Parts: sequence; C-alpha cells; structure tokens
Amino acid sequence: MVGIDAVRRELRGSAIALVMVAATTVVSYVLIQYLDVRRGSVIYLLPVLLAGWHLGLVPALVAAVAGVLWSGYFFFSPFYSFYLGRPQEILNLLLFMVVAVVTSHLANSMKQQTEIARKREKETSDLYAFSRRLSAASSARDIYLAIEEHLANLVQRKVILFGAGGAKPFAPALPDPGQLSAPLDAAIADVQAGRSPATTVDAGQGDVWLVRRVSQKTADFGVIAIDLGSVPAETFDEVRHRVDDVLSDAAATLQHLDVARALNDARMRSETELLREALIGSVSHELRTPLASILGAATVLSKSAAVAKDERLTALAGVVRDEAERLNNDIQNLLDATRVSREQIRPHQEWIEPQDIVNAALQRRRRRLAGHNVSLDMDANLPLIYVDAVLIEQAFGQIVDNAAKYSPPGTPITVAAKRNGHDVVLSVHDEGVGLTTEESAQLGERFFRGARHAATTSGSGLGLWIAKAFVSANGGKIQAVSSGADKGSTISIHLPFGTPENQPEVGPDD
Amino acid sequence: MTEANPVVLVVDDEVQIRRFLRAGLELDGFTVQDAETGSDALRWATLKPPDLVILDLGLPDMDGSEVLERLRTWSSVPLIVLSVRSNEAEKVRLLESGADDYVVKPFGMAELLARAHAAMRRQVRVSSGEPVVKVGPLTIDLAARIVTINGARVMLTPKEYRLLQLLAQHAGNVVTHQFLLKEVWGSPHLHDTHYLRIFVRKLRQKIEDDPTQPRILLTELGVGYRLVVPEGAVQAAAS
Repeated sequence: MVGIDAVRRELRGSAIALVMVAATTVVSYVLIQYLDVRRGSVIYLLPVLLAGWHLGLVPALVAAVAGVLWSGYFFFSPFYSFYLGRPQEILNLLLFMVVAVVTSHLANSMKQQTEIARKREKETSDLYAFSRRLSAASSARDIYLAIEEHLANLVQRKVILFGAGGAKPFAPALPDPGQLSAPLDAAIADVQAGRSPATTVDAGQGDVWLVRRVSQKTADFGVIAIDLGSVPAETFDEVRHRVDDVLSDAAATLQHLDVARALNDARMRSETELLREALIGSVSHELRTPLASILGAATVLSKSAAVAKDERLTALAGVVRDEAERLNNDIQNLLDATRVSREQIRPHQEWIEPQDIVNAALQRRRRRLAGHNVSLDMDANLPLIYVDAVLIEQAFGQIVDNAAKYSPPGTPITVAAKRNGHDVVLSVHDEGVGLTTEESAQLGERFFRGARHAATTSGSGLGLWIAKAFVSANGGKIQAVSSGADKGSTISIHLPFGTPENQPEVGPDD
Repeated sequence: MTEANPVVLVVDDEVQIRRFLRAGLELDGFTVQDAETGSDALRWATLKPPDLVILDLGLPDMDGSEVLERLRTWSSVPLIVLSVRSNEAEKVRLLESGADDYVVKPFGMAELLARAHAAMRRQVRVSSGEPVVKVGPLTIDLAARIVTINGARVMLTPKEYRLLQLLAQHAGNVVTHQFLLKEVWGSPHLHDTHYLRIFVRKLRQKIEDDPTQPRILLTELGVGYRLVVPEGAVQAAAS
C-alpha cells in the first residue's frame, strides 16, 4: 500500500518535472530564435532546482537527465540533435545531478525541521494552555480534569485517575475491581499503597500501561494510569518524561491548593475566635461598668441616714448589692468559660498555704453564705501546695456557691481542708438536694444542670465545668459524693503536694 | 487636715461611677474633686494638691498606670487604684509603681473607704513619726521593737519581727510578696514565695487566735499580705 502510494507520488512528480523542462525548452527556443543566445545551457538548472526543492529526489533526477538532453539539442553542436557524448554535456549532466541531489536533500531536511518545529510549537501551546488551566483552577476537580484531558491528548490514548482511598474527598474514586485487567489492578494497588512510586505493567496483548502517583511526594493526590499501547522503548522514555513534567506541575498546583485551603480554614477559624473574644470582652466590659455603679451606689445608699434607719430599705439595698454581685459572677463565668474553651488557662503556680485559699473563697462569698450555718474544719500545719492560688480559689468558691444555692437556708455547710495521703483535700459538705447517680455521672459537664432544679434555681451549668478545668490545669481533680437525692453532697478538690521531702525549705532564722 | 475636710481627687471617665463615689465620699466627710481624663487629673493634682487620689485605670487619654507613674515623680499622696482587671500581675505592677492599694470593680463603698483611710493614716504616721501601730488587739511599738497582744508581750525572731514591722507600716493596705521578700531576705530571694508562707505561718501562730482562720494577717492571693484593721477601728480613726 505504502509502496504504491510512493511510486504514484514519484511518477506525478516526474511528470511535473518534465512539464517544467518542456517549459524551459520553450523559453530556450525563444532565446535562440529571437535573441541568438548560444551559451544558455545553464537555464536547464532551473527545473532541476525547482523539482529538487518541491518534488523530491527522483523528479529532480528526471529533470536533470531531460534537461541535459534538451540543452544538448539546443546549445551544443551539432545543434538540434539529442547526441549525448560531448565532454561539456557529460560535465553538465554530472553537475545537474549533483544539484538535484543536494537541492532535494536540503529541501527534505528543511521540511523535516519545519515539521518538528510545528510539532514543538503545538506541544508548547498545549502545555501553556494546560498550565493556564492549572493556574485558573479553583478546585482539585478542575485540576484532575485538566490532567486527564491533557495527558490523553499527549499520548493519544486512555488515561485514568484514581483517588487516594477517601483521604481527599475531591479525588476520583478507585475503580471497581475486575473492571481492569488483573496485573493493572495489582500495579495500581501497589502504587496506591506506596510500595513503589511508579511502575509499568503489561496489561496483556503487549498493551503497556504506566502507573504512578500524581505527586511523587505524597499519595494524597491519588494515582494515575496511562495507556501507552505498544510503544518502542525509546518512545516510552520520552513519553514518561513528558508525563513527569505535566504531573510535577499539576502536583505543585494541587499542593498549593491544599495549602491555600488549609490557610483559608485557619484564617476563618482565627477570625471567628477573635470576633468571639472581642465580643465577649466588650460585652463583659459594657456590663461590668454599669454593674460597678449599681453595686457601689447600693452600698452608699445602705449607709445613708435615711435608708439605714429603715430595716426594709436596708434589706432592699442589700438585695440590689447581692444581685449585682451575682450578675458579676455570671459575667466572670462567661469570661472564664471562653478562656477554658480556648485552652488559655496558664496556671501561675507558687507555693501556697491551703487554708489561705479556703479563707479567701469564704471571705469573698460571706454575704451569700450569711443564711447558712457554716463551720470550718481545717488541719493546722497542712503541707504547702504548689498551685495557681487564684484559679483554685475560684474553683473552690464555685463549689461553695453551689452548696449555698442547692441547700435550704439555715442548714449547715461544712468546709474542710485535710491531708489525705499525698493529697490536700479541700471539701464542701452540704445537706441540700444531693445528687442522684445519674446526676453524679454528668456533674461537671459543660452546661449540665440537674433537671430537678432547672425550674427553681437559676444557673448556667458552666460553674463546675470551669472549676474542673481550673483544678485539672493545676494537676488536681474534683470529686463528688452523695448518698442520693435530698441527702446532701460533698464536693472536694484533691490537690497533690507530693511527698514531705518535696516541701520547700527555708534557711535558719538569723 | 484636722479642721478642713480632706480633699479627694476622683479620676474616672464614667459619670455614674463618679456620681456614687462623690456621694459616698462626701457622706464620709471628704471634699470631692472630679477629673475625667488623665491630663485633667494631673492638672488638678498640681493646682490643688489632694489628700487622697482614687484612680481608675481605663481613661480615655492615657492609661491610669501612666498617671500614677507621672504623679509619683513629685507626689507621695495616698492613692487607691480602681481596677476591673482580675489580673494579679497587673495589680502587683501598680503596687510596685507606687499605688497604696487597689479595689477591684465592682466594689462596696466600705471596702474602698477602709483602704483609703489606711493609706491616709500611713501618710500621717510617716510625717508625724508616730511610733506605735495598733491593729485590733495587736500593738506594734516600732521604736521599742515591742509587740503585744492585749497587753501581753509576744516574742518574735528577728525575721518575724521585720516581716510584721513592714506590714505594720502599711497597716490596712496590701504589701506585695516581692516587697516583703526584698526587704527581709534581699533581692536574690525575690521569687522564694515559700519563705513568706513559712514565716507567715509562724507569725500567725504567735499573733492569731486561730492560725487557720486568721483575722489580723490576711493573705491577698497572688499579690501579697495585709494587716487588717477591724472596721470599728477604721471609723474611730477617721473621725
């Protein structure tokens, strides 16, 4: 088939070459008859050159032979005869044939180079289009589509992309088993699992596939399988290099997209955090300033002569003060809750006398405890503990608050500070509503409030949760013990002091 | 100061706070001068030197601590800081830069007055050279270095006495850990808070009825210690 085509082409070329020689002959005749030009044999080089350039070697040689014959006919004696034997003619023939060979060769290589250049240009523009598509891609899906199309275009065969087993939701999924040939399935699984970064596999009938990760660095971006057909080894290497180039660009873009997405997520999160922080900060400031005026004014009123002499008015002023204090406490809880949930509890630990913490907590809540019968049971000479005293005081105060809140006025509350093994235990016992087993289990969970008291007692369910966080930040724990509903409860903070040898020492007193 | 009413300069940008402070302080016998800004405060303090300054930390034109620092370059007027910050390090910093005491918002008038009177008494004691400090049942004769409880002599070691002496000089006001450690043990022990814990425990055993529930030598968590003046004594001293 190919041979006949070539012969046909050569014959057509040769015919055209002869036509050109004929045209040259007409011109030669005119030159001789009317202008009397006698040395013009070189004019027959013209069809040889043209044929060599445009039609190839065979037509050029045909033109050379015909040209030499005709030039002998016109320009060499005996004129008007096809005698081919004069030395000048032999020289011309050789010259024409060399020109034919050189010209056709030059033209041929020129054509080849042009062809290569054109091909390169197409590749470059394809690659350029591909990278433009990559840089415009806003999702991984876009990138995968671009890879698939570009590679398919490049190798002119099938390209399949596989995901990374759900690690990245945007990558295409793995194929159903059995859809591809067994060796190809095995190769994909190998690359997927990271046993090899790239491999080639014969899928049967000499059909070679290249299987590799999209990114050489990570399996996160999935696996690609490219059908190369039956290609010779040298072409295979070339294709492989081009695939490498394409994929390294694509992987970089995927990486970039991934990082950008993570950055975006992080920025969104931190902006939300900042907003919340600013909001709570400003709200608490806005609430606390008027609270300070309310509470301060109430204390001034209660001391004024007019109010002081009327018990009912004094009590009212006291109510204003107490409620303002309670509100202030709630705001403090809100602020503390955000600190806890942002994990911003950084204990400033120092050695402290345990009873100092208990006394400070009771002192701050003396008005709220006024209705109860508070008794204290503290060991003298408790070991010093190494904690953030302010945090522990807040935690213990919360427990004291709860005892006052959930036990009837007039009932006893016992506050104790004891040593127990390697712990110092600060506890509050009340004879109030107690805890059911269920309530004990949920106590200290964020927003947990016992259903039995939700209607009768106000609260946010944050207090004990915050207390727990403050205590555990200091290496301690909170325990709750109750014999059941309405049987009172004991809530205690356990803080390790280590061993007596760990206690700090002080030099002799002068 | 004994005849005319003492003058108090109240520095706060919140009008409602100034209003109740004015009422409370006037009821207590003070003449009140208001200032809304830091620069106002500094001007008033120069024009009409007050006997007491009550300073809010959040001011529109400058931070309250800056007012304090500038004021302290030329005046030792008793000064109480109003703080909304429950930040102990900040309180310590303010005390170190010359505040006599602080109250945390929201606060009751009685608490503020107790701190203010204590600071003013200290001023009088320093200027008159009065050698005896009485804190409830406790009497500390700074000249004779004698400590008694209800007339009975209490024997103290030199460091215990030094500690009590420093607290007595600031009776009613808080004294920071750092100040006590520096004065009693020297700069190298500035962070050895446990020295204080141990000596305060010893001291309480000698001067308190129940050392586990102290009534005289109180702990200000995260800040320092305070020798507390019983409320009756405040009223007596003020009148």
